[in-house]
Amino acid sequence: MKVVKQENINLDSSFAQEIAKLSGENVFLCYQCKKCASGCPSRMFMDSTPTELMRYAQLGMVDEAMKQNTIWYCVSCQTCSTRCPQDIDIAHVIDTMRIIGQQKKIQSDNNKLPLFNRLWMTMIKYMGRAYEAGLVASLNLFSGTPTKDMVLGMKMMRKGKLKLWPSFRKPFATMKMFSRAKKLKK
Amino acid sequence: MKLAYYPGCSLHSSSVEYDISSRKVCAALGIELVEVKDWICCGSSPAHQCDDLMSVALPAKNLALVRQTDDLKQLCAPCASCYSRLKVTQQRLTDNDLKKDVETVIDMEYPEDIEVLHMLDVVVEKAGTETIKEKVVKSLAGMKVACYYGCLMTRPPKVTGKKQFENPTQMESLVEALGAETVDWNMKTFCCGAAFALTKTDVVLELTRKILADAESSGANAISVGCPLCHANLDGRQTQINSKFKTNFHIPIFYFTELMGLALGIEAKELGILKHLTDAKKFLNERALV
Repeated sequence: MKVVKQENINLDSSFAQEIAKLSGENVFLCYQCKKCASGCPSRMFMDSTPTELMRYAQLGMVDEAMKQNTIWYCVSCQTCSTRCPQDIDIAHVIDTMRIIGQQKKIQSDNNKLPLFNRLWMTMIKYMGRAYEAGLVASLNLFSGTPTKDMVLGMKMMRKGKLKLWPSFRKPFATMKMFSRAKKLKK
Repeated sequence: MKLAYYPGCSLHSSSVEYDISSRKVCAALGIELVEVKDWICCGSSPAHQCDDLMSVALPAKNLALVRQTDDLKQLCAPCASCYSRLKVTQQRLTDNDLKKDVETVIDMEYPEDIEVLHMLDVVVEKAGTETIKEKVVKSLAGMKVACYYGCLMTRPPKVTGKKQFENPTQMESLVEALGAETVDWNMKTFCCGAAFALTKTDVVLELTRKILADAESSGANAISVGCPLCHANLDGRQTQINSKFKTNFHIPIFYFTELMGLALGIEAKELGILKHLTDAKKFLNERALV
């Protein structure tokens, strides 16, 4: 585990409380058994393990938890949540940290996920359904890699696996849902 | 048997062959699928990581729409991600405060009594492998299949209610009933990186490589899947994996519904198998299945 200087540790449970309020998950139940870290398929890409992440949350080490790439490399495969002996839904805790990160605009470098989420949710809002060709094209364009997966996309199109045009499905219905949700959150 | 059917966005686009084969196979088994009228996206990968309320409201709206579809009480979702989001919603809406909020957002009554089933549950549990075995006209003998479940068909068990979540065997019992051999392997519930297909492709290539390598070393000559994203990664990214890792994979990836269709005597072309990006035609030709 990474060594952190003592004077840099700010013991504060408000972060854990915020997570509990948003997700209903209690990070203090974690006793560091490392089952989540051992089973995590994405571990090799992460700055720290899910186990360490739970400790950061317990100790209120917000920067370590939020500014490293760890939460953005969770593949949401639910292995940790399935195996946790303390029944903590770790994937849900990580989702909650991502929500906090996106709301407060805390980001680790070169992270396309918030953009991906925004684009897809906008599609649902205005079209009711996901429009895959548009999602790939706009994501690659806005993230500065317009030619990424172009060959794959062309192959898929030839096989009739990518629809060129979106299908609009009662768009007002989903737009109303989003505006009612916005009102409710206020 | 009559079920409501929620195809989801992928089945209308990148995994259209899963939709085609599911419908054909269900028709052959006498299962009537009624598509949910005006269904919307379930929120899949993005909603749960950026908007908690919408991540349950979107599936809840679809469950409410099921009620308006011929008043059906069972819903079949072939996509593992849709299936998981629908099940998670059902579990979380046992909380009355959240349920009230969601009903405000969807402006409809949320029905509590809908049974959500994955397509694999429908064919294995509702139709039954014995019935399927009787209908097999073309045995899949000669195929050695690695059955790949991925993450969300079985996990987390609290949500899916599955008893065998680390080593599921439902798909094996089905594939064996079709006459094919199955292999014992390690990666059947390992993640392919699905949600990162577009944003962190490096992760997908590495995880998918591991799955293909394990299937191959276990002696499998084909992989069977039940999720559009698993298929997109395993089937569509083999060329990229081969060039990145200097490997030489050429493993045909089938939806379990396609394998059923073949065994029930439906032509590969009609099942949409020719739409795969890793060519399966030669493989089927060699085994006289085309």
